[in-house]
Amino acid sequence: MIPLQLKVNGEPVAAEIEPATLLVELLRDQLGLTGTHVGCDTSQCGCCVVHVDGVALKSCTLLAISAQGSDVVTIEGLATGATLHPMQKAFHECHALQCGYCTPGMIMSAVALLERNPDPNEAEVREGLEGNLCRCTGYHNIVRAVLAAAAEMRGG
Amino acid sequence: MTDELELKFDALAVGAFKSVGRPVARREDLRLITGKGRFTDDFNEPGQVVAVLVRSPYPHARINRIDSDTAKQMPGVLAIYTGEDCRADGLGIISHSPVPSTRSDLKLTAPGGGAIFEGPHALLPVDKARHVGEGIAMVVAESHRQALDAAEHVRVDYEPLPWVADSAVAIRDGAPTVWDEVPNNVCVDTRFGDTAATDAAFASAAHVIEMEFPIQRVTATPLEPRAALGQYDEASGRYTLNAGSNGAVTHKRQIAGALNVDPENIRVLCFDVGGNFGTKNRVYVEFGLVLWAARKIGRPVKFLATRSESFLSDYQGRDLLTRVELALDADGTFLAYRASNLSNVGARIVSLSPLGKGAPLVTGSYRIPAAEVRAWAAFTTTTPTQAYRSSGRPEVIHALERIIDTAAHRLGFDPIALRRKNLVSSEEMPYTNAFGITYDSGDYIKSMDIALRLADWDGFEARALAVRERGLRLGRGFANYVESSIGAPRERVDMTISPAGRVEVVVGTQPTGQGHETSFAQVTADLLGIDANAVDIVYGDTDIVAEGGGSHSGRSMRHASTAIYGAIEKLKVYAIELAADVWGIETQAIGYGDGRFVETGGARRFDWFELAALEAERAGGGDQRGLRISHSHEMHTPVFPNGCAACEVEVDTETGFVRITKYVAVDDVGRVINPLIVDGQTHGSIATGAGQALWEQCYTDPDSGQPLSGSFMDYGIPRADEMPSFITAFNEVPSPTNPLGVKSGGEGPTTAALAVIINAIVDALRDLGVDDIPMPATPFQVWQSIRDAQG
Ligand code: FES
Ligand code: FES
Repeated sequence: MIPLQLKVNGEPVAAEIEPATLLVELLRDQLGLTGTHVGCDTSQCGCCVVHVDGVALKSCTLLAISAQGSDVVTIEGLATGATLHPMQKAFHECHALQCGYCTPGMIMSAVALLERNPDPNEAEVREGLEGNLCRCTGYHNIVRAVLAAAAEMRGG
Repeated sequence: MTDELELKFDALAVGAFKSVGRPVARREDLRLITGKGRFTDDFNEPGQVVAVLVRSPYPHARINRIDSDTAKQMPGVLAIYTGEDCRADGLGIISHSPVPSTRSDLKLTAPGGGAIFEGPHALLPVDKARHVGEGIAMVVAESHRQALDAAEHVRVDYEPLPWVADSAVAIRDGAPTVWDEVPNNVCVDTRFGDTAATDAAFASAAHVIEMEFPIQRVTATPLEPRAALGQYDEASGRYTLNAGSNGAVTHKRQIAGALNVDPENIRVLCFDVGGNFGTKNRVYVEFGLVLWAARKIGRPVKFLATRSESFLSDYQGRDLLTRVELALDADGTFLAYRASNLSNVGARIVSLSPLGKGAPLVTGSYRIPAAEVRAWAAFTTTTPTQAYRSSGRPEVIHALERIIDTAAHRLGFDPIALRRKNLVSSEEMPYTNAFGITYDSGDYIKSMDIALRLADWDGFEARALAVRERGLRLGRGFANYVESSIGAPRERVDMTISPAGRVEVVVGTQPTGQGHETSFAQVTADLLGIDANAVDIVYGDTDIVAEGGGSHSGRSMRHASTAIYGAIEKLKVYAIELAADVWGIETQAIGYGDGRFVETGGARRFDWFELAALEAERAGGGDQRGLRISHSHEMHTPVFPNGCAACEVEVDTETGFVRITKYVAVDDVGRVINPLIVDGQTHGSIATGAGQALWEQCYTDPDSGQPLSGSFMDYGIPRADEMPSFITAFNEVPSPTNPLGVKSGGEGPTTAALAVIINAIVDALRDLGVDDIPMPATPFQVWQSIRDAQG
């Protein structure tokens, strides 16, 4: 067991972990943050995307220990109190989710995408989300939602 | 009690709806966008342990001995179970009821007409492994890693046997036998239609076109891998299973059968499900195994499939070899159609839905007076197949719409004109096809016109020229479709209207992303004349939901809305009696409208909630929950969603790379309850079909029988940058078969997608001599087809 200290959704966390623990296992199994999902075992689906020090990463592919001292934000930490993040709101309004399993990772990736490029066109959104799979929506409404959120965030 | 419903259509004139038909954003979203969904693996119980399956590495092998002595001694290991242990404990088999059985399903039989041998599905086999990935033993340990380590040390003495993955090979003389009971592997063989009339029409035809299409095997890959958490309560003798499915009630009964226990001792919980598309409709061995192990070990047991395991052991889809012939008159009138549909059911029969549903729809949306279909199936040493989004219909519509394009090209007809000439017209509705199946309603020609306009079909040449200038080719395709929505015939609704102003509706369907909580509330609210926000939809716990057929075959909205309608009609009668009693007048003197019961010519009125309060008050010390009603209904009449698709693709002949540049879908789903949700279903449904047309295939290595598509790295589901934005429209023709006029959404667009995309690619390459391309039309395949055509 090794000691780990980091911040998760703004709160300091101290945990004892097995060296091989993945970040997603720490979040789901030890911290009970089950919003971050696992959809594959080859780093393909993006269901597990979280922000580590502001960068969108696949938490299934990251040893928890590598987040030592980092600031981790998961889907549970995206809203501010009762106020949804504009991306969450846009996903709701544009019906960008069906089963909702890909959604947390998709939203976290989309937020990071807009941080890199606040005014993307459709092709850039599609390219930017290439690492997140969705089997339900055909991506149509996800793309609409990201463009809508981008417009709102630029406006506001 | 079951009622066949008296339908009163005029009661439901369009104007009656306030919420139905509006694009209401979903209420289920809030938990899902904030990380508070309740998927199976999100549940954990104190003391929980982990199960891992030891899976067969061989497609076909005799199990001589299983030695788990070493594994049992490993750290954390609690138990290791084999098929012999299941047998010794008196466990049964999973009875999948694979043969479609509503009154309108054509009856599939074994060769010669007898009962079909299904291939018993024990929780763990004792004799042989019949596909790579079949569970052979189960290890239960304190942690996942310990279970995995121990599984590696379970020694199974396999005797590899000859294998067969391809149905066309399995039916040949001397092919390896999967089940001794069916030596030639042919487990189903049934003919439908009028052979004599079909033969006569073919004999007199001016033209006959013949083609063969292997509709390749694919897999649904819902992004939530399948999972199960089993518990056993010693004191009550009851089992509890958390597992994602499309309808917990059916699963409860089938799991009870496999465990040989009373269904009432099984509780199945199913809340959020991360996609299904058919593969989670059926019971998996792990569901029974975790419950059984939980009882034996005395602790909750969880199983969670890895994605690789899902690729090997999720029930897969399609895999139909269809050979078709179309007979035409000199002027292009369709005269007759023949099809031979050979289904690959895999190692055992889990479902014959795809074969059964496709067979009577081989003639699709067209007026083809004579037709015959042979529907047959073979066992192979592969993972069993099951219904996959639009079970059985994309296969047959692909063959039909491809052969029509081919006929048009070979015989010099315009493919659109040829379709238009032979489409069933709205005046012919209801239309009974050559297999005696009656299409309820639709305006196929109008859908086609809408799609052609949205696609700017006539502007194609100019666009094609522009693409040529970039060194690429543009192709366009068109396809019509009709599909059927039947599904389990029974559905039940329990409704409570409380004095507190809320309506609770317990339904037996199970959403897996379709937004039932929102759309069922819209229906209930409009039928009660109240606000949709006052309605709560309850599902997912078999202790609360007593009955229900689940979500498949596009049945949910039609069945639920009909059951809700029936419940409310019954409740109205009761409510009028109650009001009459309170007011001391005759029931005839009370009118109902817009959620209010009104004294005719008087001033007194009650709304639903006031009546609920009265009812509660009258109950005294009894049931004070308010107005309550249970309603079960049975509906055997199928409906026929229909529509069409048009698309354009750019093809690079140097690399074989294909890009969809335009995709139009026009669908008649009957009455649209929530256009936002139905549009979303359309988008996903198109992508499902596009995946099959362009990338997806469960590929088996021809030398070893090993599946080579084991991860998202070697199985291509559509990605965001490979899909276009879609152009969609409804051609809403309410079905006369149910009160709301619902048909079904979510499956039709898949039905048309395979053919329309391949038609477009072939169109782009026609002058290079290409007249067909097998799916998936990967860049390599397209490149190869061009090379083959050029000799
Ligand atoms: S779980 Fe699939 S990429 Fe992380
Ligand atoms: S919403 Fe189901 S996988 Fe994306």
